[in-house]
Parts: sequence; C-alpha cells; structure tokens
Amino acid sequence: MAEVEARTDLPFRFRPVARDPAGNVDRYAPLCADILRTTGARHIVGCVTSWSRKEVIPVLERAGGALWYPCPYEGFEASEHVVYAHAAPNQHLLPLLGWAFTRFGRSGYLVGSNYIWGWEMNRVARDLLSDAGGSILGDRYLPLGDTDVSRIIAEIRATRPAFVLNSLIGPSSYRFLNAFADLGREDAHFTAATCPVLSCNLTECELTALGPVAEGLIAAGPYFRDPATAGAFGSSFEAAACDAVRTLAAKLAAGSPDADLATLLARPTERGLRIDPATQHAVLPVVIAQVRGGVFRPVARWEAVAPDPYLSRRTAAGTPTRPPLEVVS
Amino acid sequence: MRRKLLVPELGGARAVILHRPHPTVQALARQLIAIGLAVDTHWPELEPAALAADYTFFDADMGYDAQFPWKPGAAPMPMIALLGSEAPGRIGWALSQGADAHLLKPVGDNGVYAALLIARHAFEARRTLASEIEALRARLADRQTVVRAVTLLIAEGHTEDAAYDQLRQRAMAGRETIEAAAHRVLARHKEDGHGRRRSS
Repeated sequence: MAEVEARTDLPFRFRPVARDPAGNVDRYAPLCADILRTTGARHIVGCVTSWSRKEVIPVLERAGGALWYPCPYEGFEASEHVVYAHAAPNQHLLPLLGWAFTRFGRSGYLVGSNYIWGWEMNRVARDLLSDAGGSILGDRYLPLGDTDVSRIIAEIRATRPAFVLNSLIGPSSYRFLNAFADLGREDAHFTAATCPVLSCNLTECELTALGPVAEGLIAAGPYFRDPATAGAFGSSFEAAACDAVRTLAAKLAAGSPDADLATLLARPTERGLRIDPATQHAVLPVVIAQVRGGVFRPVARWEAVAPDPYLSRRTAAGTPTRPPLEVVS
Repeated sequence: MRRKLLVPELGGARAVILHRPHPTVQALARQLIAIGLAVDTHWPELEPAALAADYTFFDADMGYDAQFPWKPGAAPMPMIALLGSEAPGRIGWALSQGADAHLLKPVGDNGVYAALLIARHAFEARRTLASEIEALRARLADRQTVVRAVTLLIAEGHTEDAAYDQLRQRAMAGRETIEAAAHRVLARHKEDGHGRRRSS
C-alpha cells in the first residue's frame, strides 16, 4: 500500500483499515461486516483459511464488498465477491505430483490435518495416483493441533513409500516433520533423495519454527523468496497480498473506482496479476522448490498457468505435465 | 460399503438452461462457465439440439410438459430443477420431469457444482437401476420358458435336478442367462421335432 501511496499518477489514495480476528474463525464475519459498515472500505485483503473465507462471503454478498484472498486453497469455489490471488490445486498439487511421479515414483503416503484442506488435497492425490496406476500406501488425518504422529510414522516405516504428501498444518506438521527426520536418521530410505516430503502449504513462514528438519522438504507455490534479491517478499503469502493490492490499484485507476468487482476485473491493465474473468482466480507461475541450506531453491518452474479451480479442464490443453524450464543444480 | 463419488468430466460438457431471461440465468451461466461447461439458454421450448446436452437446468415455476422434446421423466441426461416457489404442486411437477437435483432461486454463486455432481450421481444410479429392473422383468417373463425347457430335458430322460443342472451349465458355457439357455433348448427341440417329422 505504501508503494501505491508513493505513486503520484493515481486519482485516489489507499487508506489502510485493519481488523484482527486473531485466528478465531467466529470473529471474521463480524469484523468484515464492521469494516464494510463503518469504514467505507469496499475491498478487503485477508483470511488465511477456507473456513474463514467461507465465513465472510455471506457478509460480502449482503454489503457488496470484495475479498482478495492471498492464500493457497483446495479449489471448488468461484464466488463473485472474491478474487483468488494465490494458487488453486491445478497450480500447486497437480504440477507437484506430476513432477514427483517421474522422479521418485508412484507410491505415495498421504497425511493431512482433519479439515477441508487435508481431506480435499488427499482426495485429489488419491485420484491422481489411481489415474497414474500408482499406489496409495496410506491416507491418514490428525485433528488440528494433535501431535501424536507415532502411528503415521510407523505406517510410513512399514510401507516405504516413494514420497509423502504432507497437508498437515501448524504444530501437527512440525511434530510430524521432526519425527520423519528422526526416521531418516535410522533408515536412509526416508530422506529427501529417495522419499521426499511434499507439501502445498509449506512456505518460508515455517522455516524458522522447523529449523534443520526443513532441509530437503519440497513445496509448490507461485513464489519463493530469493535471498539474493533485495526487497524480496518473505513468502508467497506476502507476494500474493502485495500483488492483490497492486492489481486493485491498477483496476481502480483504469476507470471509475466505484465499479463492481466484475467490472473492475474486466478492465485490461498492464500492472498486477492477470485475473481470469470467468473464475476470478489469478493466472500464476508454478514453482517447485526444495529447502537447501535453509532456503527454498527452485527446481522446476512453469510460467502463467491458467486457473482451473474445479479441475474440470484437467485433461484439456493448458495443464502442465512437464515444466518448460527445469532448474538443474 | 461407502461408494466413491465419481467426479464427472465437466470440462467441455454442455449444459442447457430452460428459463426465461432473468438474473438467475446469468448467475447460473456464470457459475457453469467458471466450472468449465458450455452453456445454452432456451425459452420457452427446448430445441431438439438440447438432446445432445449433458445437463438440463429447468424452471420449475413456469415450466410445463410440452417444453421438452422428450416424455416427462424420460430425459436422456441429468435434470436440475430451478425452484422458486416451494409449493407442493410445483415440486411435484419438477419430480415428474425426473429432477435429479435442484437449486433454489435466486441462484447465487454457490451450489451449482454440488447440483451437477448430485444430479449426475442420481441420474446414473436411476439409469443403472432401470436397466437392472428391465433385465429382471424380462427374466421373470421367461419363467414359463424355463419350466418348459426343464420339462423337455426331463422327458429326454434326466432327473429334475440333472435337468436344471444341465440348463445352468449350458447358460454358463454360453455366457448367457438361464432364460436364454432355455430358449435355445426349446428352439433345438422344435428343429429336431420338425426334422423327425420330415424323416418319418
């Protein structure tokens, strides 16, 4: 927003209004209503889970507001009141698994937190593995916050998958990754070269909490921080939120700022994200990166992957199967 | 056992909407296009080209039988009713058209994907059951054929058990139903009978 404020060519100014639900899902809808009712703001950048996003959508519908959602999600939604600025499954999970199948094999162990993200990620992964003639060696869920990973580790040890798909979040994920690193010290099969842990929700935000056990983890996302670039974003969440603000500024500047969201998005603009008007999801690069030396290093990259939130164009042209750019290191 | 939901191929599928021009049609078309379907809108009648559609959404408020190029309940694709009035008469009419799922008006920006999947699932289940029932009815109608075939085999010197057993084995060898095997036994007997009459 400071960048938009610093520009002198725009006929409007951005005034930040912040409300903090402190992660309490029941606070999102009232705070969203409060913003739209009392501050005059029409565009909200925020929410970090599908659960919180679904809480605010009815409020946006009633008050005519718009949400710019800056996090990856599991797809199967296309609200007229939401711009999806981060990746949908065809921009994270599909390319990640396609890439992993050819390098590590088609036997996967799937683990996730017991809510919509974990369920849907694992459902899509099961379908992809079945379609590819692979095998699903396990499919387990932990309640949010649960750190009892012993059974999962025992099953992984027994089934020796070619990769693990980790859709756990928070403390469950940290505990699991620590236990998996312990397993790797006992049996070298369970290390990144032969049985990597893949994730679509691992970003730079988690690296400090994970410490050395993050080494070798592989993640997919639209952006990873390049430490060699000055002023780089801390993570894809930051990048998506900033892109959302830039895109909003560009769309507002291209005509009347009071237009509704569909009209705004229909305006062709140079700056900011390319938003697919049919789904209001961003066209994004897909990057697969591995943690090496405490930093995400890109290993594969696709440019401008069109969104397909319902995975209905999966077999049609446009879904990447092989990256045009392979980063060899 | 829990049956796995079959997710249909929706990319490039065709939906027709039978509804007068209305914001509901726009909202519905937007969602269908977002999901990846191609959309045609018709009113007041579905044109014959609609027979090739993969899904039909129809207005239950102002709809009537003559709008459709098929008999009530005989649509060749999943049908989704667009309900405004919840009056029993209208719901009854939507059901008589073979509604596999419904959406309440005004249609917003959710519910459409679920309606597509539920309607497809219900339609396929209905079609599978209908063909199973048809096959069972046909077999039921052939009870007399089976009895006559067994009687014939008994007349040829088999015990009743052996006659049944032979019929079952013929069916297995021919990979056909026991009724079809019975038909063939009767046909053969008829031929033999004619042959005997000719030779005598």
